[in-house]
Amino acid sequence: MSMTHDELRKHAEERTALNQQLKSLLVDNLELATPASEIGDDQPLFGRGLELDSLDTLEIVVMVEENFGVSISDDDSGVFGSVNKLADFIVEQAGGIPAVENA
Amino acid sequence: MPDLLSFDADRIRAMLPHRWPMLLLDRAFDVDPGRSGSGIKNVTVSEPFFAGHFPAQSVMPGVLLIESMAQLVAVIYGARHPQDGSSDAADRVGYLGAIRQMKFSRLVVPGDQLLLHARLGASIGALTEVSVRASVGSEVVARGSLVVSERPGADAA
Repeated sequence: MSMTHDELRKHAEERTALNQQLKSLLVDNLELATPASEIGDDQPLFGRGLELDSLDTLEIVVMVEENFGVSISDDDSGVFGSVNKLADFIVEQAGGIPAVENA
Repeated sequence: MPDLLSFDADRIRAMLPHRWPMLLLDRAFDVDPGRSGSGIKNVTVSEPFFAGHFPAQSVMPGVLLIESMAQLVAVIYGARHPQDGSSDAADRVGYLGAIRQMKFSRLVVPGDQLLLHARLGASIGALTEVSVRASVGSEVVARGSLVVSERPGADAA
């Protein structure tokens, strides 16, 4: 990798913005009681994490498709592990970090 | 274009486990199995629910509009398996998982012919999102989004 310091910083800022947007979308779409600011990047979404259920997985699939144009299939169940895993998948499928409007 | 299928009331009765007074769908047409379809529900003054909803004003309950849409979705699902008429088809009918969003914009009264539309969307595991719409003539009466669940143990196609 031959990123300059500025490029690296820009990349990190874009990635942070994507994670922030994902957290806001999760809170809005799933009507979570937890504020977006209290969701950790690596916090499990299911089980003891945010305690989401299988209907919530479908809400996330619809949410990601509508907002990022990225489809999640049954083979991609790892994306529901955490905000970081979901963001990694979106970046990989979209071929880069999608531009995020400031929330 | 894929081959679109039609189902009359007798074939629908053979596919769905529903019976009077809960079998609401009269006809299905333009059915693209597993993807989309249209249907008809004719509303008559002798519907049993009008006796109580309401005694002085006949209004079809909104939840039964949703049930009519869900039955169309069950036909769209069931049409993936050509051997309708067997009890297998009825065994595959799933359940309503969620009413994600629904807006009712006009009362449905005796004499109305409901034209129903459903299109299956995103899917994960046994769950599928479905966009649904009901109209009378040129007026939309209800529109929204449901989640249906495939019956546990049913073979996923």
